[in-house]
Amino acid sequence: MSSNVLNRGSARFNLSRFGELGLLAVLVVLFLVFTFSSKYFFTPKNLSNVLGQISITMIAAVGLSLLLICGEVDISIGSLQAVAALPLVLVMNATGSFWLGVLPALAVGGMIGVINGLLVTRLKINSLIVTLGMYYLLRGFVYFATGKVPISDQSGKDFFFMVGNGKLFRFLPYTAILMIVIVVVFMYVLRHTTYGRRLYAVGGNPEVARAVGISPERLKLSAFILCSLLSSVSAILLASRLSSANHMAGQGFEFQVVAAIVLGGVSLAGGVGNLLGALIGVLIFGLIQNGLGLMGVGTQYQLVITGAIIILAVAIDELKKRHA
Amino acid sequence: MNENNVILEVRRITKEFPGVKALSGVDLSLRRGEIQALVGENGAGKSTLIKILAGVYKRDSGEILFEGAPLELHSAHDSLRRGIKVVFQELALVLQLSVAENVFLESFPLKRGGAIDWRTLNRRTLEILGSINLDLNPTRKVSSLTISQQQMVEIARALSHEAKVVIMDEPTSALTPNEIRSLFEVIRRLKVLGIGILYVTHKLEEVFELCDRVTVFRDGQLVSSKPVGETNTNAVVTDMVGRSISTLFPRTHSGRGETVLGVRGLATDQKLKGVSFEVHAGEVVGIFGLLGAGRTELAKAIFGLDPVSAGELELRGRKLRLGSTSHSAHAGLGLLTEDRKGEGLVLQMSVAQNMTLPSVREFARFGLIRTKAENARSQEYVQRLAIKTPSLRHKVEYLSGGNQQKVLLARWLMKKLQVIILDEPTRGIDVGAKAEIHKLIDELAKGGLAVIVLTSEMPELLGVSDRILVMSSGRITGEFGRTEATQEKILAAAIA
Repeated sequence: MSSNVLNRGSARFNLSRFGELGLLAVLVVLFLVFTFSSKYFFTPKNLSNVLGQISITMIAAVGLSLLLICGEVDISIGSLQAVAALPLVLVMNATGSFWLGVLPALAVGGMIGVINGLLVTRLKINSLIVTLGMYYLLRGFVYFATGKVPISDQSGKDFFFMVGNGKLFRFLPYTAILMIVIVVVFMYVLRHTTYGRRLYAVGGNPEVARAVGISPERLKLSAFILCSLLSSVSAILLASRLSSANHMAGQGFEFQVVAAIVLGGVSLAGGVGNLLGALIGVLIFGLIQNGLGLMGVGTQYQLVITGAIIILAVAIDELKKRHA
Repeated sequence: MNENNVILEVRRITKEFPGVKALSGVDLSLRRGEIQALVGENGAGKSTLIKILAGVYKRDSGEILFEGAPLELHSAHDSLRRGIKVVFQELALVLQLSVAENVFLESFPLKRGGAIDWRTLNRRTLEILGSINLDLNPTRKVSSLTISQQQMVEIARALSHEAKVVIMDEPTSALTPNEIRSLFEVIRRLKVLGIGILYVTHKLEEVFELCDRVTVFRDGQLVSSKPVGETNTNAVVTDMVGRSISTLFPRTHSGRGETVLGVRGLATDQKLKGVSFEVHAGEVVGIFGLLGAGRTELAKAIFGLDPVSAGELELRGRKLRLGSTSHSAHAGLGLLTEDRKGEGLVLQMSVAQNMTLPSVREFARFGLIRTKAENARSQEYVQRLAIKTPSLRHKVEYLSGGNQQKVLLARWLMKKLQVIILDEPTRGIDVGAKAEIHKLIDELAKGGLAVIVLTSEMPELLGVSDRILVMSSGRITGEFGRTEATQEKILAAAIA
């Protein structure tokens, strides 16, 4: 069976299908442009570097894609990245064990997911509003808890450093390997499991889902939890790269992720999208940031270009709805 | 036929969509002051034709003559400007604006200087409403009107443009009997005014009550077009389906078994006021009620879609948890909802995926879907119900209404059920598919299911039911056995 939503069997003109090919073309063009405009771009070192960066984004993007597919959104994931690193580094510093630090980091993430999910599904508050509140709340908490001073890793664990910075054959980052595993697993979940099918059904039409015996609330709650857990995983990798719990970590991350996956064809309206598209979206964003940086394009232009891409992404989403 | 009287003529119109020939070489003519019915099964091409006349679709070939001159339409606004008004099922009104503002939406009367001339606007709206004997306040907000009154506003808009042709797409599907009567009066007024009317409908009794001529479409072609005096229901049905259909309800199931579903004192905060009844294995219980009687609410409360404030349900002697659709579905209850798009289909999903939504677990091991089994089962039902779809992966959105309804039926037939509740199972679908669904209902009962059919169509109610319950204001006000039930008794109970 092919992807749920690409509908490859249909002879009908389909923008979502065109969209993915179009995105691949954009990706290739960007790649060529940067290769020819900067001699630093197409080097093993730089490519490996980009791969490491986008992997962290993509892991969180997987979680957010699941949530968008079932019709909700979470913009507290950037703040969560900063929050989840706190127990990680503190416990690691206290116990000297990486794995003992991972546990509370994931627990905090899971808990935030539960809170977001319950507020949305029980009190029926719009998820954008709930997680916007959580976005400020968590960031404020980190400022408070750290006194705006990064808490650095003092455990001296090589393993912790290697998680975010190590590379297989000095090229393939461990983060990328983890990312690929997560993407493949969740691609399979979305396409071939009853859970994935129910996510699409709930996002496509929650009333129908309820009318066939699916509880949209329970499913959405689980997606909030998965999203927060995966964001916490990305938080752990980021903390390893920064070797600290930083109150600035993940600032603006949530919007990058939303923009990237919407660009990749995951609809904000729910029920539509897949992880291949999300991955391409994240790659495009990653390449643009890296490439523009290497070309020495000023921050002001980088911001303008990023903004234009976000609007383009939403415009494509809108056109898709019209043509679908 | 007097040539001079022809207002609209369509010649050899052809329209093709990817994979489907929607219209092939259709000729049709409409005279002034004529009410012409367009009938045909779902997908026969009626909708395509009216969308071409509305300027929504462009024809591939052929020509349209309007008042004898060729007509080229580029947009919906274009056709209205030229004097063709189409009233679609989804009304094109701005709900937040007043009646008068809607009637003159495209061409407000202006004062010098460009400000809206409110006095003229309201006066002319009153005149137009008067010309079709309508008593409505022009300043009333459209959102406060009933569906039927809103339809009238759309018709009034046609008159504000001095429309010469009015096309109506199944205008009575959401109306009560009284509202239908007043709509017919308005349509007859239009006829007197010399306007030509194309009236698309599925209800043949309306054709013979209202229309002068009946034109039948089948598979994108015009099959027949006759004055109503020269034909009859059976002939029209035969033309529609291309074979003769028995309008008799098949009945092969017999005798009821043990009690399957017991409903006791079921009540909700809004509508239901304590409903009790039982349904037995192998029995079809028909539930009738006028609009607002609480039929759909009852179905939803039983299935757990709406919260219940009092009462209990028993399934084969075991208490059922209330207010949880997942428990109901798991226990073996199924509900075919009345609202196809809103509560039935996930439009973005494929035909197969829509069918297996409630039963997908039956094809899965440890949560992993065995796609082969799923497809084989879906294919089986596509064939059994003769669902017209290019493939199982086709998006359900692109199927015709009747086929969508069959997909929804297949959804519940696939699942092992004890009780199936069918809310308006044949609304908006054509006679051929209707007969198939009636046959299925009989088969379901024969297979030992407890079947509950909620319907507002009297012949269907009397035809399929073993027992009839009548609802009024949230209560059951009458119960009749198959042999004792008559239309009069049922209606008397329905208005009790």
